[in-house]
Amino acid sequence: MSTTAATRPSRRRLLQGLGAGAVGLAVGLPLVGGVREVARADGTGDDLELSFLISNLDGGWVPAKSAISSYEANVWQQLTDKLVHTDPKGKVTPWIAESWEQSEDATEYVLHLKDGVTFSDGTPLDADAVIANLQAWAVGRPDEGLPRVGLFPGGTFEGAEALDPLTVRVAFTAPTLSFLPTLGYHGCQLMAPSSLAGSLEEQSDLSTQVGSGPFVLESWAAGDHVRLVRREDYDWAPPALGASGPATLAAITYTVLPDDTLRASAARAHQTDIAYNVNPQVLDSFTQAGFHIEVPRYLGFVHGYSLRTNVAPFDDVRVRQAFTRGIDRAEILRTVFTDAWEPATSWLQAGVPETTDLTELFEYDPELADRLLDEAGWTERNADGFRTKDGTELGFTLYPTPYLTGSVPEAELISQHLRRLGIRVHTQKLDIPTWTERVTNDLSQGVGEVTRSFVDVGTVAGVITDEGEDWFSVGSSDPELVRLRDAVAGAADREERAGLVDELSRHVLEQAYFIPLEQNVQRIYVQSPDLKGITFNAVAIPSYHAATKEPS
Amino acid sequence: MSTLSPTAPDGPTGALAPAAPSAAARTARRYAGFAARRTGQALIVILLAYVLVFLVLAAIPGDPISAQLDNPQAGYTEEEKAQIRAYHGLDQPVLVQLVVSLVHALQGDLGTSLATSQPVTAMLGAAIPSTLALASTALVLAVAIAAVLGLLSRVLPEGRANSLVRSVPTLFLSTPNFLIGLVLIQVLAVNLGLFSLVDSESPGSTLAAALTLAIPVSAQIAQVFITALDEAAGQDYAEVALARGLPPAQVVVRHLLRPSLLPTVTVIGLVLGEVLGGSLITETIFGRTGVGTVVQKAVAAQDVPVLLIAVVLSAAVFVVVNLVIDLLYPLLDPRLRTAKEAR
Repeated sequence: MSTTAATRPSRRRLLQGLGAGAVGLAVGLPLVGGVREVARADGTGDDLELSFLISNLDGGWVPAKSAISSYEANVWQQLTDKLVHTDPKGKVTPWIAESWEQSEDATEYVLHLKDGVTFSDGTPLDADAVIANLQAWAVGRPDEGLPRVGLFPGGTFEGAEALDPLTVRVAFTAPTLSFLPTLGYHGCQLMAPSSLAGSLEEQSDLSTQVGSGPFVLESWAAGDHVRLVRREDYDWAPPALGASGPATLAAITYTVLPDDTLRASAARAHQTDIAYNVNPQVLDSFTQAGFHIEVPRYLGFVHGYSLRTNVAPFDDVRVRQAFTRGIDRAEILRTVFTDAWEPATSWLQAGVPETTDLTELFEYDPELADRLLDEAGWTERNADGFRTKDGTELGFTLYPTPYLTGSVPEAELISQHLRRLGIRVHTQKLDIPTWTERVTNDLSQGVGEVTRSFVDVGTVAGVITDEGEDWFSVGSSDPELVRLRDAVAGAADREERAGLVDELSRHVLEQAYFIPLEQNVQRIYVQSPDLKGITFNAVAIPSYHAATKEPS
Repeated sequence: MSTLSPTAPDGPTGALAPAAPSAAARTARRYAGFAARRTGQALIVILLAYVLVFLVLAAIPGDPISAQLDNPQAGYTEEEKAQIRAYHGLDQPVLVQLVVSLVHALQGDLGTSLATSQPVTAMLGAAIPSTLALASTALVLAVAIAAVLGLLSRVLPEGRANSLVRSVPTLFLSTPNFLIGLVLIQVLAVNLGLFSLVDSESPGSTLAAALTLAIPVSAQIAQVFITALDEAAGQDYAEVALARGLPPAQVVVRHLLRPSLLPTVTVIGLVLGEVLGGSLITETIFGRTGVGTVVQKAVAAQDVPVLLIAVVLSAAVFVVVNLVIDLLYPLLDPRLRTAKEAR
């Protein structure tokens, strides 16, 4: 099975390639202009096709391993279904699970499944299939190289049993509020039990991966393309998408084009319907040319800096506060990004249901910042005009993250803002390996840059102290932080936890442990204006079940 | 290299041969021995390359499995990490890993990618046709361009047109590959829509990519070809032919071409490495999925098993090409059958 899927297209390609050489040499260039017609996936009425350009599909197709990558997630989203749908506001609504009950202490859940759902190989998506999936997400088969899904709360997972063919009971050893929202994230896609039973190498072959989604695989070639076609008997889309029955589009082709400029050029030449991730700096030219730009935001932390409080000068809360008060975020949004970017309102993205607007704790106030630095004793000025204390100059270095386009001009702008306060900020751009080594893994580095999505707000408890990733290098020295961490982690009720998250966010921002910049956008979709009916989930992955192409 | 004495280039190898075989049979036998020896050497070089590359790659820290497991977001336990590393054999000493890998390779199992979990043979197998199509089209184009330039340089009378032709190779050489590619993409694909950027394996795209690759390569072949033609033209027999009033085109075909072919074939063999190396860049520019792209991604992901086979494969291609050229020489030029052996 694997060989046919992998080799057939390549043999065709070989012939095509050799043919190209022969034809081209014999008759010259103009004749090959004929490819233009087939280049753009197009059609009318029932034959509408979508062409999607993506930077890479290199993570492989083993569901548990590729689950974290946003690239493969684009394809999985069309091939598979999930138990619940989580929308960009974090709202959990039914999908394959029509309804559910949760115990008082959030340690036990009962899921009621929709009747009549089948995988594309005809096997039923019933309680047994769901249990096989839960087992794969929570435990995996590490001795066979198959990890569990890292985002799934496997640590507290006790087990799952079928109460009847359409009812599953899931038990946890401790309150696990993240269970339901996690079911809506990529990674927790439902696969046929036969697919999950395969070995690591078998699972790496996309053609052995059977889902129950609105599209099925037609062909794929590693690192090159994936082509999906509509499943005609599909009838269990999540009600949240607002469409039922089979998909409108007949086929979707994902083509890998690693180069940014090439994807942009192909879009500009109208050779594709969607180009995924282009440089934000060129977005305006696309808007002017009539393209539609989608910049969905995921749930998670905003883009910002986490400060290590054991590194000077961030060991002084007043310096940290001056840092956050000295940044003119409105100017950053105006000059570095486009109108599609939104200001930060907390250290959490605004879509996170527990987020409260705490802008007043970090908004631009250069006078306050000046005062704070004076109070902290940075009163002298040196020949260059920078503040000093006991002969030491006030300053630090920013290493912009190589993962986020725009972070370099942003850091340069921030360095100008802080210069006005008398803080000398160097900026240095590094490539990914060097950045990992010099910044991420170097704990003597005062500023860490954060761009991260999360499945559930409970994640915050895992990053703030030495019980987890200890972003601020405070260890357990801040009793208020420790109290709030334990309260958020152990909460059994979402409303009660929301209040605790607000308290925690307030504390983090008041202490200026975290410097919010703007709401994070890491996925940019440049779309033809003809495309309609596209919806995004909580982690900014599109669903094309209800999508259609209509000239606007 | 050879056991033959230079003073007796035509003498029989085995002086004790009972009945002197015919000269042709003797030459054939000597050639077979030479071919077998060269082939054996080539195989040893490939084997050594495997071991060397394996050891070098083993010295590089990090791999995609550990990168995934150590990600703090994933939250794996130490036991889970250890089990998964053990499954991939990453907990074994390097020498054990080398022996295991070598034994598997000799049995035809070239391993599994750590990044995609796919068999390395499947990944490279899917990429090779694309690279082969690109490289072969590019080589044919390059030879064609060089041939045209070379012949023009002899046929055109001395003057502005001729010196223009002769300066083309320098111009081609000094234009970077990626610049040619970007111009072709902008003009032919974006402005004129002559080929598809999305379907990067379509005939038009392949031709454009091959042209990008062929232009700098053709320059090197053309330079050698032109020099060789000039040299041949300086020989007495060519001057005599010209003096007898033969048209330049006929002189080229009858008298200059054959002696110029040997250095030209040699340089074509040498630029093959350039073609393969250049295809990496060209594949990237045009978004093709070939061996170059696979290697590039394997480097970025520290996917050692894929890198190992890819590097050994390119070493093997080099060795085989050189072997073929070595074996071809005596057939191209009968004088070399003995002279080269004797040297």
